[in-house]
Amino acid sequence: MVSFASEKVFSLGSIPITNTVLNTFVVDVALIAGALFLTKRLNQIPSLMQNAIEALIETFYNLTQTVAPNRAAKIFPYLATFFLFILISNWSGLIPGVGSIGFFHNGQLIPILRSTTSDLNTTLGLALVSAVATHLLSLRIIGIKEYFGRYFSLNPVNLYVGLLEIISEITKVISLSFRLFGNIFAGEVVLITISGIFAFIFPVPFLLLEFIVGFVQALVFAMLTMAFMAILSTPHHQTAKEVNHKEYES
Amino acid sequence: MELIKNFGLDPFLLGAQVVNFLIILYLLKRFLYKPILDLLKNRETVIKDGLQKAQEAVLLLEKTKEEEKRIIKNAQAEAKKLLENAKIHSLSLTAKLEESSKKQAERILLQAKAQIEQETRSAEERLMSNVSRVAMQFLQKSVSQLFDKKDQEEVMKKAIEQLKKTPN
Repeated sequence: MVSFASEKVFSLGSIPITNTVLNTFVVDVALIAGALFLTKRLNQIPSLMQNAIEALIETFYNLTQTVAPNRAAKIFPYLATFFLFILISNWSGLIPGVGSIGFFHNGQLIPILRSTTSDLNTTLGLALVSAVATHLLSLRIIGIKEYFGRYFSLNPVNLYVGLLEIISEITKVISLSFRLFGNIFAGEVVLITISGIFAFIFPVPFLLLEFIVGFVQALVFAMLTMAFMAILSTPHHQTAKEVNHKEYES
Repeated sequence: MELIKNFGLDPFLLGAQVVNFLIILYLLKRFLYKPILDLLKNRETVIKDGLQKAQEAVLLLEKTKEEEKRIIKNAQAEAKKLLENAKIHSLSLTAKLEESSKKQAERILLQAKAQIEQETRSAEERLMSNVSRVAMQFLQKSVSQLFDKKDQEEVMKKAIEQLKKTPN
């Protein structure tokens, strides 16, 4: 039986080190080492690896520029980091041994490593970073008056809309964190179950499915963050103008 | 609370994940996105410059070709002009030479004529003197038989005068 909570592997004093925390370190090291390895060998004529990373970064940057032309430089790092961190975390759970190599405690297998995003602490942490960064960006770009004007108004209708907006901001965090956690945790459960029934060949399609799910979930999280950032950092009147302009164009 | 406990939510782990992500965000921003975006920007500039230079080079090539054509055309025109001038000059030179040779020939002819005339005159004079001498001898011999000494002198004198009067 897979538990929702990550399992404690060891403790550093009073600090519990869980298998997801250990996996987070592995993901961190992979990301930082990959970044350093790549940027040390940057060349005007790119290698295959550099080309792939350049294509990914350029695609994300251009996408951000399309959605929020003036704020691309600020939004892009969040989009790219959320995508890369979540993608590597999701895929790390598919590496043979992750989730299956461990030790027994009270007759239950405690894996040494477990996919980072199958821990609600990670996904909720990411969702909180996304939400806080979105609101800070919004405050910085549209200003305090415009920012609070979105939620509080003397007009009862707007006040009610503002209240709904506040609730939606809370639900955004919950939906972001639980969507990612649910998908990856469910995938992990499916893989463990299938591998328990048939050890060979049969889990392969499910592994491929999880590979795609991992990619899609990383993309969904990153894209939603970008969309929230773009929406919240656009003043109300400008949004209206943009909508009118688009309607006129169409 | 039971639900939170079941999901394994731990404020410390949550905080650790948040801090971890912020560190990763900073590191990737500094060591991955910035260098790559700078490189892409730099490459874009290099490509733009290269394309602009290539375009300039094409324009320069076209301009040079046009200049080359113009120079060749000018050179051809100049060569044609030079050739015509040379032709005209050679024609005038030929005419001058012809005239001068004609003049020289005329002069030589005149000189030859004058020489021939002079030689003819001197020959005539020589002939005259010979004829006069022969005539005088003949007259002397003829007169000596017909006239006395005084008449002989008179006839001879008149004959000499007459000979002198006679035009060449």
